[in-house]
Amino acid sequence: MDYQQLLLALLPDLLVVVALFAALGVDYSRMRGSRLAKRYEVACQISAAGLIGGLAVLVLQIGGTMPVMESTVDGQLVLNTGTLTLKALLYAMGLGVLPLAKRDQVTQQVSEYFALLLLATLGMGFVVTNRNLLGAFVALELVSLSLYAMTVLNQARRASAEAALKYLTFGAVASGFLLFGLSYLYGATGQLDLTQMTGLTDEPMLVLAYLLIFVGLGFKLALAPFHLWAPDVYQNAPTPVAGWIGSGSKIAAAALLLALLQPVFDSPKLKDSLVLALAALAVLSMVVGNLGALRQTNLKRLLAYSAIANAGYLLVGVVAFSAAGNTSVIFYILVYSLASLGAFGVVAVLTDTLGREAEINDFNGCWKTTPGLAAAFLVFVLSLAGIPPLAGFFGKFYLFFAAIGAAPEAAAWHDGFYWLVAFALIMSVVSLYYYLRVLKAFLVAPADYRAAIAPSKIGWAAGITLCSLALAVVALGLWPEPVLTLLGH
Amino acid sequence: MTALLTIILSFIGALVCGLMPSSAHRRIRWVALAVAAAGLVVSMVCCVNYSETDGGFNKEDLVNEQWIQSLKIRFITGYDGISLPLLLVTGLVAVCGVLFSWNLEMRANQFYAFYFTLIGGVYGVFLSLDLFLLFVFYEIAVVPKYFLIAIWGGARRQFAAMKLVLYSFGGSALVLLGMLAVFFLAQDATSGKALETFSLLDLQQDGEVPREAQQWIFPLIFFGFAIMAGMWPFHTWAPTGHVAAPTAASMLLAGVVMKLGAYGCLRVAVGLLPLGAEAWAPWVAAVAIINIVYGALVALKQDDFKYVIGYSSVSHMGFVLLGIATLNLTGMTGAVLQMFSHGVIGALLFALVGTVIYSRTKTRMLDELHRLIDRMPAIAWVFVAAGLASMGLPGFSGFISELYVLIGTWESESLSGWIVAGAGAGILLTFGYTLVKIHEAFFRERNPSPDSQAETPYPPMTLPEKAGVALLLGSALLIGLCPWLLTDKISPSLKLMLD
Repeated sequence: MDYQQLLLALLPDLLVVVALFAALGVDYSRMRGSRLAKRYEVACQISAAGLIGGLAVLVLQIGGTMPVMESTVDGQLVLNTGTLTLKALLYAMGLGVLPLAKRDQVTQQVSEYFALLLLATLGMGFVVTNRNLLGAFVALELVSLSLYAMTVLNQARRASAEAALKYLTFGAVASGFLLFGLSYLYGATGQLDLTQMTGLTDEPMLVLAYLLIFVGLGFKLALAPFHLWAPDVYQNAPTPVAGWIGSGSKIAAAALLLALLQPVFDSPKLKDSLVLALAALAVLSMVVGNLGALRQTNLKRLLAYSAIANAGYLLVGVVAFSAAGNTSVIFYILVYSLASLGAFGVVAVLTDTLGREAEINDFNGCWKTTPGLAAAFLVFVLSLAGIPPLAGFFGKFYLFFAAIGAAPEAAAWHDGFYWLVAFALIMSVVSLYYYLRVLKAFLVAPADYRAAIAPSKIGWAAGITLCSLALAVVALGLWPEPVLTLLGH
Repeated sequence: MTALLTIILSFIGALVCGLMPSSAHRRIRWVALAVAAAGLVVSMVCCVNYSETDGGFNKEDLVNEQWIQSLKIRFITGYDGISLPLLLVTGLVAVCGVLFSWNLEMRANQFYAFYFTLIGGVYGVFLSLDLFLLFVFYEIAVVPKYFLIAIWGGARRQFAAMKLVLYSFGGSALVLLGMLAVFFLAQDATSGKALETFSLLDLQQDGEVPREAQQWIFPLIFFGFAIMAGMWPFHTWAPTGHVAAPTAASMLLAGVVMKLGAYGCLRVAVGLLPLGAEAWAPWVAAVAIINIVYGALVALKQDDFKYVIGYSSVSHMGFVLLGIATLNLTGMTGAVLQMFSHGVIGALLFALVGTVIYSRTKTRMLDELHRLIDRMPAIAWVFVAAGLASMGLPGFSGFISELYVLIGTWESESLSGWIVAGAGAGILLTFGYTLVKIHEAFFRERNPSPDSQAETPYPPMTLPEKAGVALLLGSALLIGLCPWLLTDKISPSLKLMLD
């Protein structure tokens, strides 16, 4: 193996790691005794520098000016346009989380906060570029462990600790299932490299392996019935962290799910035995997520249930088992994450420094006090609801398109996936009710005493983040083709 | 490119109005009027420029660009004789909506931002020649309605807004499913290969969906769209929505949004799935008759003036559905003409009841109105004229369109005589409730008279109100007297579609 090439290929990750240690080092040496705000400022800048550097290298790699090797032994690294694009987008979104984290100074352990954020981002980057059972698992654990730790960062809140404990316990069990499944997969195929696995049969061991994998990844994706941790964690983690759990980690988990299912593509028998399980998870998640969201009064909890529902829609694209299906899943999780991060960003700006719990009523009259934020929130929520011309609509449309395209010649209604798509469509109509209820607070309700509490300053970095997220959601809806081409490779 | 201007101008107008400060409501209304008028002018230019003698899409003004190659989605817009009357009515109602909201001050910037987003979506639907694009515009038109009603509406506005939006999206969910099925199942008529396209041009020209598939796709698409057209039993969103909406929004709802549904039924469901349409036509006709008769009967029982108009809309949309169900040239020409006619007259009635009369009397309850004919004579006579137009008095567009629909029904072989009888009964009922309600509203004396104020005359119509009334009533009269202005464009295009 050529180490120089490996170094070049991993340069983005290296830059992030350097920034991570720099942030820790500076915070513990030079910044000792400085004001908290100053420490946040410096740690945030160093982390941002690392991510921007990594992003720049990634763009060069994708553009071809800095050619990288396609893959290494055992699929430990698979660097093609698709995976690199995904990694770049994750870095960019991680960059967006930083200013939000800086605004709300929840903890005294400043550099640890940012180091954990960088670690999580690093891990996500590894998950999406990894096609090796062990490597991917380790990378996913890196993400999860960082997220567990970040959830508990707000030591002033008891609920935060409780949520983190719940997250950790459920997460550990889920990781156990995942590892169990991966080991069965390895046992049945004798391969660690996912790109080399071929000719899978429908022997019970493989079916069991995949079912165990679904349990493990179902937890990460917050699929019902493995979703129980989500509402508590979303509500009680620091809001930027909740945003990152609801976006970046979802992208990583979805990408891993697709990578693990790739070997199934050319073994129709195994596919048939897995489709039903996936479809059942999809239906259950859509029902639990959408019906659960109807009665929430807390916006962050509502977003958690919406995440569960959206994970359900996601599986509609997975069951297609086609190239179009894979692209649609990645595209959908991407636009979902952008919108979800944006929505959490708005919530963070409007609640965090103001000591609010993000009850839906707290946002009454936002159109008057913070019209820009209300408009951005409108874009994010309508995208989550799947209203054109926003990206969420096209994402959902593509999922359904792929699902029906997998078997369009249905003789009866239960052939193909017409029934699943119809169910998902009905559930999207239901979801509109609670999305509109939230928008009602932001845009319709008269400005009452609550509206008087508005953030004095949003901060330019957070402002730019929210603006670019909103623009991305609009642009990807109007013209998704370039990103589809990049991701389709 | 000309026709695209309607969409572009509306969206730019929405953006500009939205970014202006709400305190500048005087300036905003002039901007709004300019934008709406520009849309109307562009539609009229399109109408004049339309030169295809065979009824096809105007070749000079056809935009056909790549959009999303991965899914074979193209950006295609253009218009033919079916879209033209609807573009015109959209332009007319948009202008008049601004005129009748002339005194709006509350959050005026946001009002017009939502208003023009809605109008841009409506223009988009009428111009789209790609199913995906049509669907996108169709949904763009839904969300602003929620905010228009929920923010600026009257009593029970939250409930009405939510109901309307959920019904609309329920309908479009059905449409989306049907649309995907059409994409994957349509074959080339000659070679039998899968077409895999959303382009209405290609689908109509050489596409063919297998007969069995048409049987189940047709109801999905047709009834999905028809929910928006106020089809019984899914019509209930319409009266509650119309009544709770602010005047401009109820004008748009009755005038153009319900036509979106009917247009979808005609262009997509019947246009692409003729075999399915043949099989389902009797059912559609039966539902249409229920719409006509039931809408009229319920209108007769209403005490709230705005509900009367709301249910009359349901009844009139029944004629559109009936016209479509005839599946022959005469009936369908009547359906398109009725879309125009009801668009204009329905909007006028809502404007009169919602703004002109209500702003003076401060009540819409019929039994609280006292001798309006003496206290607001001009307004009362305008309303009587509008009511007669709605009733289908010869000389107004409603008469021509209903006549076409009835003749079409008579000619149609697949529809039984009962349908014609039902439609006839519906027309009689329309006469009944219109006259009764006009009497109750304007000519009745309440006894005893409640207070000394009861005899004082009301202020006359303002200039914007006069202009709006003149535009709407004028167009109804113009088309009533010279229907060939529209039918000469509608019929060839329908003929092309039916062949």
